[in-house]
Amino acid sequence: MEYSFEKHKIFGAIEADDQYWRSLEDGEFKLPRCSACKKWTWPAHYRCGSCGAWEFDWVAVEPKGFVFAWTRSQYAFDRVMERKSQIPYVTVVTEIPAAGGARVMGVLKGDDQHLHTGQAVRGTIDVPSEASKWYPSIRWEVIREESRREHRR
Amino acid sequence: VTPFRGSTAVVGIGQTPYYKRGTSPEPELKLALRAITAAAEDAGIDVRDINGFISYASERSDPAKLMPALGTREVKFASLVWFHGGGLPATLNIAACAILAGQADIVAIYRSMAERSSQRLRVIVAQNDTSPQYLVNGLESPAQILALRAQRLMQHHGVPRSALYATVAASYHHAKNNPRAYGRSVQMSPEVYDQARLISEPYRLFDCSRENDGAACVLVVSSERARHLRQKPAYILSAPMGTMEGGGALEENWRPYYATAGQKELADRMWKESGYTANDVDVAQIYMNMDSMGIGSMIDHGFFAMEDAGAFCTFDNLIAPSGKLPINTSGGDLGEGFIHGMGLLPEAVRQIRGTSTNQVPNAKLSLVTGGPGDLMSSTALLGAQETL
Repeated sequence: MEYSFEKHKIFGAIEADDQYWRSLEDGEFKLPRCSACKKWTWPAHYRCGSCGAWEFDWVAVEPKGFVFAWTRSQYAFDRVMERKSQIPYVTVVTEIPAAGGARVMGVLKGDDQHLHTGQAVRGTIDVPSEASKWYPSIRWEVIREESRREHRR
Repeated sequence: VTPFRGSTAVVGIGQTPYYKRGTSPEPELKLALRAITAAAEDAGIDVRDINGFISYASERSDPAKLMPALGTREVKFASLVWFHGGGLPATLNIAACAILAGQADIVAIYRSMAERSSQRLRVIVAQNDTSPQYLVNGLESPAQILALRAQRLMQHHGVPRSALYATVAASYHHAKNNPRAYGRSVQMSPEVYDQARLISEPYRLFDCSRENDGAACVLVVSSERARHLRQKPAYILSAPMGTMEGGGALEENWRPYYATAGQKELADRMWKESGYTANDVDVAQIYMNMDSMGIGSMIDHGFFAMEDAGAFCTFDNLIAPSGKLPINTSGGDLGEGFIHGMGLLPEAVRQIRGTSTNQVPNAKLSLVTGGPGDLMSSTALLGAQETL
C-alpha cells in the first residue's frame, strides 16, 4: 500500500515518527516503546535515552487520555492555511497514561465549550485530507462522564 | 568564583529604528551594518578593529558579508548560538569565552531582520524545522504553541489573567517615554486589552510580541580594555545557556516543567556564579515572545512562586522607577519592538549606564532573560563596577 503521508512528506524536527503516521493510516494508534527497557519514548526518536537501545516496538495503545493543554486558533496562520475555513478550531495536547504519559496532539472533535485541562478525551482516527496536509490524524473528543482531578503545583 | 564572572563587559550599543514588519527602507544586511557601526561609535572603537562576530538563531547577515563594508582588518572568531530567542543572552557567554580564551578582542553581538529580505516567519523564525505533529494538527506559529503552555499555566496552575495584563500595561507604560518604541502611542487599558482580537486562545493581540524590522548590536571586550573606553562598562557577571534533562526537542512533552520557561536550572546556575539572588536585581528585561511565557521566566528565576504570580504581577510592582521589579523598561518585546528579542540587551546596558528613558535610579544589577520555552535558552546578569 502506498501511504498518503509519504507522498506529502513534511520534513522537519526529528523525523523518527513515520511508523506513527503509517499506523494511523492503517487505522491503528501506535506509540513507540523501547524493546529493551520498555520505556515509552515520545516524540519518537532513534535511540532510547534511558538504556541506550536502538530498537523500538510500536505498540497499539487505546487512544484515551486527559486534556493536558489546548488552544483555540482564531487566525489563519501562514503554514496551516488549509485550516482557514475551520477557524476557530481547537487543538488539544492529550496525556496518555497507558503510554507512560506521552502527550499526543490532535484537533478536537465535537463540543468545545467549557474545555478544561484534566478532562477525559477519547481519540478517533481521521483519514488523510487537505486540512491535515494529507496526513492521517487523531481527533480527540471529550468524554463527559470522566475527568481527572489534577493537583495544582 | 569562575574566571568568567566579571572578566568582560559590554561597552557599546547600537540600534536602528524599529520599522513595521516588511517596511524597512533598507535591506537586512544594511541594517546590521548600521547597528554595528553605531555600537562602535558609541564605544569609541574603530569599527575596523572588531574581530569577533556572534549572533543567534538563523541570522543571515553573516560576518563574511559584513566585513567588506566594515573594513574589517581580520575576523578571528565567529559563531552562531543555536535555536531561537533562547540564544539571546547566550551570545554574551560565547563572546566572553572567546575573549577569555584569547580568541578575539572586540566582539560584536548583533541581530538583524527585515522581512522582505528573508521571509522572516517561515524561514527566519521557524527555520523550516516544525514537526508534522504540529502542522498536521493546525499548529505552526509560536503564538499557537505557546498558547498551549499559557492555557496550562492559567487553567491548571491558576495564574490569573490580571498577571498577564500587568506585564502588558507596564510594557506600554514604559514605551510611552521611549522615542524609539514602535508601540509608544498605544494607550493601554483593560478595555483595549480585553477587546483586542483573539489570536490563539488564551492569547489576544496584546499578549503577543510585536514583529518588526530592525537591527541591534552590543560590543563586548575584556574588563581591562573596558576601563579605558568612553562608556561606563556593564560587566557580564554570568550568562549561562542550556536545557535540563526532560527538555529539548520534545514538542509538548517537557517534564517536569511545561507551563513556565524551562529556565530554572539556568537561573540557579546564574545566581550561583554571580553570587546574587533574585532579591538583589534592580531591573529586568524579560523576553516576552508572549506575556505568559515571561511570567514563566520570572517564576523560574525565583522572583515569585507560581501561586503568587497574581499578587506579584501588578502594574505598580512592574514599573520604573520604584516598582518591586521594574521590567521591560524600554517597552520590551511587547511595547518597544521585536527583532527576536535583541532590543533587550542594549536596554539592560542603558540601565547600568543610567541612560534609560525609564531609568531605575542607581541600578547596579540588570537582568536580561532569553526566549522562554525555547528548546534551549539562556539568561544573563549584568552589573556595574560595584557589583564585581
